[in-house]
Amino acid sequence: MYDNVIDQSKDITILELLDRVLNKGVILKGDIVISVADVDLVYLGVKLMLSSVETMEQLKSGNAILPINPGK
Amino acid sequence: MDLLIYAILSVKNDSEKLNVLLAEMKGVAGADLAAVAFESTSVVVSNIQRADLAADRNTAIEYAAVIETLSQHFALLPVRFGSVMESKEAIISMLEKNHPDIQKNLINVENKYEFGIRIFCQPEILRAELRAKSEAMYKNLLPPATETKNSATWDWVNKKLREHRLEELLIAHVDSVITDITEQLDRLNAISKIKKMVTPTTIIDGVFLIDKVLKDELIHIAGDLQNKYHGLNFILTGPWPPYSFVDFTVK
Repeated sequence: MYDNVIDQSKDITILELLDRVLNKGVILKGDIVISVADVDLVYLGVKLMLSSVETMEQLKSGNAILPINPGK
Repeated sequence: MDLLIYAILSVKNDSEKLNVLLAEMKGVAGADLAAVAFESTSVVVSNIQRADLAADRNTAIEYAAVIETLSQHFALLPVRFGSVMESKEAIISMLEKNHPDIQKNLINVENKYEFGIRIFCQPEILRAELRAKSEAMYKNLLPPATETKNSATWDWVNKKLREHRLEELLIAHVDSVITDITEQLDRLNAISKIKKMVTPTTIIDGVFLIDKVLKDELIHIAGDLQNKYHGLNFILTGPWPPYSFVDFTVK
């Protein structure tokens, strides 16, 4: 069960990281090159993955996924 | 050959430290990293052919890893993945034009971490709890004297009223959680940006900036909040470089 929790937490961390790298930070106008035919494929993929996490959250109960239980 | 830009750093008098650090690191696709300096700031770059910049997850993670390592040593402003400029001269010109804004932003994030918090609910459970609460509050409400209990009009009005009260209770509940969180964060002098009801399951999506030394205290606060709100699922992520606290538009 613990392995399961750790794996899911890693997934969330990677999704949060990608969300930041792709969607936040200083924007140098006109110099973003990560797009194909005006569709940002990487970002689109991240949004889909985030949706998947939320679906997973709906299916889970209580705080099984929580990485924040100090002192426990 | 273009230059892929990773971050803008406050280097001050530590340019030698930065050079040593960059010599030990690699950028996207194993490229060497270099610094382009203007006064006390430096931009970290690597050579890149635009056509070779892969738009995939692994490349984005490699890019983030560079920013993460640099952030452990210097105050910095992360640059969005995929930002490319054509020459060192163009970068220096950009630094020069934006120097006041860059300095102001670097000061704001110095010795601080960004954390993210998402609070999920199980909508059906939360709504059932709030529905029960709403019905208890309004159980003595009677239909108007001019209507019978079975009238279609009354049923429709009653249904809409119940839905409206439920939404009101939901919003009030989310607001009370936000108030609680912000009051706790205020103890840490945190700068926060919180969005509520982002989706039916994500009731709060927030980021905040705190002093690095307060990291453990923040984790305790988040744990206490989770214990207080059993029906909600808290996910705290971080520490992150200050991706969400860059507050200027490059000229």
